[in-house]
Amino acid sequence: MTESLIGFGAVLVLVLLRMPIAFAMGLVGMIGFMLETSFRGSISMVARLMIDASQDYGLSVVPLFILMGLFVNKGGISRELYQVSNAFLGHFRGGLAMATIVACGGFAAISGSSLATAATMSKVAMPEMRKFGYADSLSTASIAAGGTLGILIPPSVILVIYGLLTETSIGKLFIAGIIPGFLGIVFYLIAVKYSVTRNPEAGPAGPRATREERIQALLGVWAVLLLFFLVIGGLYGVLNFWPINLAFSPTEAAGMGAAGAFLIALFRGSLSFKETFEVLRETSITTASLFSVLIGAWIFSNFVNVAGLPEALRGAVTAYDVPPWVVMALILAIYIVLGCIFESLSMLLLTVPIFFPLVAGEGGLGFDPIWFGIIVVVVTEISLITPPVGLNVFVLKGVVGDVSTGTVFKGVTPFWVMDILRLALLLAIPALALYLPSHMSG
Amino acid sequence: MTQLANLIRMAAQLPIFMSCVALFFLMVMTFCDVILRSTINAPIEAATELTRMSMAILVFSVMPVMSFQGGHINVDLLDGLFDRLRLDRWRDVVISLACGVMLYWPASRVVVLAERARSYGDVTEYLNWPVFYVSWFIAILTFLTMGALILRGLVLIFAPQMLEPAK
Repeated sequence: MTESLIGFGAVLVLVLLRMPIAFAMGLVGMIGFMLETSFRGSISMVARLMIDASQDYGLSVVPLFILMGLFVNKGGISRELYQVSNAFLGHFRGGLAMATIVACGGFAAISGSSLATAATMSKVAMPEMRKFGYADSLSTASIAAGGTLGILIPPSVILVIYGLLTETSIGKLFIAGIIPGFLGIVFYLIAVKYSVTRNPEAGPAGPRATREERIQALLGVWAVLLLFFLVIGGLYGVLNFWPINLAFSPTEAAGMGAAGAFLIALFRGSLSFKETFEVLRETSITTASLFSVLIGAWIFSNFVNVAGLPEALRGAVTAYDVPPWVVMALILAIYIVLGCIFESLSMLLLTVPIFFPLVAGEGGLGFDPIWFGIIVVVVTEISLITPPVGLNVFVLKGVVGDVSTGTVFKGVTPFWVMDILRLALLLAIPALALYLPSHMSG
Repeated sequence: MTQLANLIRMAAQLPIFMSCVALFFLMVMTFCDVILRSTINAPIEAATELTRMSMAILVFSVMPVMSFQGGHINVDLLDGLFDRLRLDRWRDVVISLACGVMLYWPASRVVVLAERARSYGDVTEYLNWPVFYVSWFIAILTFLTMGALILRGLVLIFAPQMLEPAK
């Protein structure tokens, strides 16, 4: 156990010295594994992981979902999602902030990344909210918080990685994210309502859209709604129209989604050869950086396992007779603290191999692995907007520029409180995450 | 010197192009596989192994360029401190060189594993393609990544202005 803790400390120091996270975890893992076994054994383990991880069939879902999000984005859909939400909600007090939340939820349904959702929506929603005199604290907070929905509402890259790490069904994890994601939207809308009730000046009501304008706005997003239902319907196994039965594995759903998004962007005339190449290039680079983190984390996780940390933790919990809810509370606190340093994927990769066997593995505390996955993602979402270094807040500041992080964090407080309430609700009622997957075929 | 830099820049586009082609192929193949299976019950049998190979090409092709440009995920919490102490460049030099050097051993081991697969005559299930091709590809690209990281370290020492547009 001591070796593992020293290893964790070393990773933390290297990461803070700005060594790429992949290399920090890989280097410490390689040296640690070598000390536990042998030089040759350690190098072989690393080489074998490099060959296997890069050819893992299940992981092909990652680039395909990233590609889908980028193609849809190129098709200009983020603006249209915002327009449609605005047409239905803009006339309420705080309506533009509510529209931002709903549009973020919609964008999250085609993008697997929180940072991408926040960055994209800030370009679309921020100018509009400024035009109508919204307080910077409310407008930036609604984007930062809404952006966090990206990693929970399927498809989610984080859930894919969790599924692969823990051998949990990715399809079921995606479906399990739907109700908590929807709850997130509702709770954030309540946070907006609370903010404008306390300070009505922060979010004045906009003009009411006519019925024609609403229909027009809806027509702009039908293709993407169809794409979302195709991907999720195929995963859920409900698209059975004899003689055609569209039931997908996650990789197939991702491939269909990416190809569908490509066709949508192509038919909208918003995709030239150069832009297609640019999207493919961006996806390749993002995929390679994610895979290097993944390989680094697997190396580190092998070291931690061979050093016996999961067993030691399990032994300590049994020996001291710690109640399961205390263990869970401790784990969640660790996630929120780590979220101040690591970005979501690295944090997940670093911690899940240690906590999962304790919480949901064989001989562990007996929690459901799918439920634990959703809880981990929700708590990761919370860390994205938690001071002092909520990453979404900094992404937003990078795009908007002239707003202080203090202003964003101040505005984000009601959203953060609603997140904690949602987490408490999910902890108290696991069925919120588990109801849909339990009714899923396969 | 400038001509050499331009040549390297042009050559760097080739692996990126390979990666893009592999990704596009992956998307089209998965789409066709699902459509063929769902409509006429005729899936592409080699889809799984083609997916695996495409993934290896997709992931490792961009690694050298990405590494040279400093595109790996990292944490910049202490950047302010390093900037104030004017140590940021030297910190980047040490990290680039260290990351480059540490890749030597795994890359060499991948070569050994590739050669072992060749001596066993390992081939893929449907297409009967030798498995060692992919392993060799991974080894070569890892060596190139190693070179790219060491080159980045040297450029940061001797000509840091060359990396400025990429920042």
